[in-house]
Amino acid sequence: MKAIIEIKNLTKKFGTLTAVNAINLEVKEGEIFGFLGPNGAGKTTTISMLNTLLKPTSGTALVAGYDFIKDSSYVRGIIGVVPQSFSLFPELTAEENLTYIGKLYGMKDSVIKERTASLLKTVALQEHKDRISGTFSGGMKQRLSIAAGLMPQPKILFMDEPTTGLDPQSRIAIRELTRTLNNSGITIFYTTHDMEEADKLCDRIAIMDKGNIIALGTSEEIKHSIKAEHIVEIELESPSNQLISELRKMPHVVSVHQSNGILNIRLSRKDGIFHKLSDFFYKRRQKVLEIRMKEHSLEDVFIHLTKKDLRE
Amino acid sequence: MSQHKNFEKERIIDLKKILAIIQKNFIVIMRDKARILPLILFPVFMILVFGFTSGNAPKHIPTAVIAYDHSQLSQKIQQDISGSQTLAIKKIVSTEGEGKSLLDSGKVKVLIVIPSQLQEKIDSGGQAGITVIVDESDSSVASTSKQAISSIITGASKDISIEKIMSFQKSVGAASQGMQNYNSQFLNKYSLIISKSKSAEDSLKEASKKISDQASSLENSLSAPTPIIAPRITRANESFNYFNQTYIPESAAYLSAKGQISVLKQSSSLVESARENVHDTSEMAKEEDKKFKNAQDYQSQQDNVVEPANSIKEFTGYNAGSLLKPLAYEEKPAYGTGKRNIDFLIPSIIALTIFQGAVMGMGRAVAGERREGSLTRVFLTPTSNVTIILGTLFFYIIFEILRSAFLILLAMNLFSIRIEGSLIAVLVVVVIYAGVSTAIGMLLSSAVKTETQYFGVAMLVSLPTVFLAGAFFPIQAMPKLLQGVASFLPVTYAGDALRGIMIKGFSIATVAFDVIILLVFFALTLGACFIVFRRDIE
Repeated sequence: MKAIIEIKNLTKKFGTLTAVNAINLEVKEGEIFGFLGPNGAGKTTTISMLNTLLKPTSGTALVAGYDFIKDSSYVRGIIGVVPQSFSLFPELTAEENLTYIGKLYGMKDSVIKERTASLLKTVALQEHKDRISGTFSGGMKQRLSIAAGLMPQPKILFMDEPTTGLDPQSRIAIRELTRTLNNSGITIFYTTHDMEEADKLCDRIAIMDKGNIIALGTSEEIKHSIKAEHIVEIELESPSNQLISELRKMPHVVSVHQSNGILNIRLSRKDGIFHKLSDFFYKRRQKVLEIRMKEHSLEDVFIHLTKKDLRE
Repeated sequence: MSQHKNFEKERIIDLKKILAIIQKNFIVIMRDKARILPLILFPVFMILVFGFTSGNAPKHIPTAVIAYDHSQLSQKIQQDISGSQTLAIKKIVSTEGEGKSLLDSGKVKVLIVIPSQLQEKIDSGGQAGITVIVDESDSSVASTSKQAISSIITGASKDISIEKIMSFQKSVGAASQGMQNYNSQFLNKYSLIISKSKSAEDSLKEASKKISDQASSLENSLSAPTPIIAPRITRANESFNYFNQTYIPESAAYLSAKGQISVLKQSSSLVESARENVHDTSEMAKEEDKKFKNAQDYQSQQDNVVEPANSIKEFTGYNAGSLLKPLAYEEKPAYGTGKRNIDFLIPSIIALTIFQGAVMGMGRAVAGERREGSLTRVFLTPTSNVTIILGTLFFYIIFEILRSAFLILLAMNLFSIRIEGSLIAVLVVVVIYAGVSTAIGMLLSSAVKTETQYFGVAMLVSLPTVFLAGAFFPIQAMPKLLQGVASFLPVTYAGDALRGIMIKGFSIATVAFDVIILLVFFALTLGACFIVFRRDIE
């Protein structure tokens, strides 16, 4: 698959703050590309630059072959954007919003009519087309926003945290819609700070923190990158502090955390570890209620990479 | 409640919390520079404007004199006008046409017409009118100048009137005195003639009595019975002031003055017949001249009577009106009759609403949409800044045309105002001015980040516009500094052009200066918009 977005040394500074620090990135045609990171990581700044809303301090980017500064007008015609906040005209109805946007794209009236009708159907708003969009629920507004992003029949759809603040049903609906759109051939650039969502939805993922890309690849590749560590979770009848400090002294044990009676043990090696642990607890007459090996989640990866929780 | 160890119990009035709220609000307001500035400048501006306008009548209102007469009286009136602080004579012209074009150009606000043969008319006992033509588009300037001129003319008229009456009194007194002398000296000395001049003596006596009665009655009516002249003049002045204040043609004061005049006329005819009698007796005495040596003596006695009698005769042609009010103040509106305050207000209101509408509207259209994100949606499409600016601009121009049309129709129906000039000319000004206002709003909205900030900044521009538009406060009454500020505001020119067209019936060519200035404003502000309009979304 060839690259549809090529970012080279893209930098954006606001005064002394470097929001985006010389990042390099390629997004392949036809994929759902997940763009992850905590709030303030520089995700929205990056997206705004790719959307031609913000001029970079330095660096370049090609969007579908067009330079995003020199050919910004072409870029705007090829991409669709679903901004983070509702950015439609609340006084207009759903249909009027889409019609107006179609006109700003320079589309023919007949095309606008056809496209508006089909998009309202795609986002399941055809029954509400004559309602004032300002009165819509959060999920409906987001769906209308997606329809607006799709008006120009984009090659790439940028979605900036489209599920944030929505109820679970709406989140599921948006994710399904995203997958459907991707199946129809649209490349999706998907920003989120929900690791689970990215894990399920995205083909490839980039993790951004403090303006830098700190991980890039498929969900599996990223998780494998920290496979050097193994996690065992053990539930004991009565764990004591004495027991925990003795556990920490065992060979290959990296760390031991206790929460809600469950011990989370990180190990540098896993060969024969179950045997060693059962032996350890047997000798100390500790009853083991449950013992299991734990899979890495993206969240773990993130904590591993940034040394901080994602939702901080 | 033991679990809330860390909190104090909630109180109805908690001073600490009140202080915390006060402190927090201070921090918030001090950090919002775009809000704090207008908050401070607003009262400063209000104090300046109200301080300089309320209580201060307009001063040095530019005035032109159309002088068809160059007599002493004409000079005196002009001096009185220059001497007042209210009016300033900018030019003295000799035709009404010249005066009118000065008025049209706005160089002067008042024309004073001094009629030809002013002095002659007054001297010969006639009445003359001074016509005042006032540009009423600024109502307070108009009323102040009318008041000032009216009082100057009334004052001059009073002076002339007093002078005439005093000289009349003097003549009557002299005639009376002369006749008494004649009686005592001539009649006593020359008994021979007594029999011959019996009838003359009788009429002389009667005349002399009548005249002195009337003289003193006139004196009494004008002053208290005091023999000194100076206080008498003062009192005459006072009674005239009273007369002027209560002047109604059929008022008691007028009637009494009229009565006195008719008595004066009667006495004048008596004096006349006395004069004839004196003449006759003198003639008779001349016949007897051979017998007497002092012919010269009675000749001079005769002159003593004849001279005042002649000057009294002058007044017989007078009527009460011309004696009491030789100079009349006449008013003529410059542009059509029957103009009321509302007629002058409508153009200013249109100019103000266009500005306020466009500037405040732009807060919603640009700053508001920027905040809401709907402007982002527009920026995401292949639509250029120029297109966005022009689209917004044209909307406001069309909207303001409709709004002005509505306002004019409303005023026409409710207050039956009439538009003297062409509606096309009004439309031209409205279009350009709406464009200027919109561009200013757009410029301001490019300079701020939030809608709240926008309204703060917009107030800085719209406040002086409201106060210096000349609709509510006379610009003429403001200090030079504020007048200078006004000359940088588009509303000054739009208001002037609209007043010219709507009230004075000017064509677009006559208000070309205003239109050109507005076009310059438009070009500059629109050009600046194209440059500073930001697309960056932060």
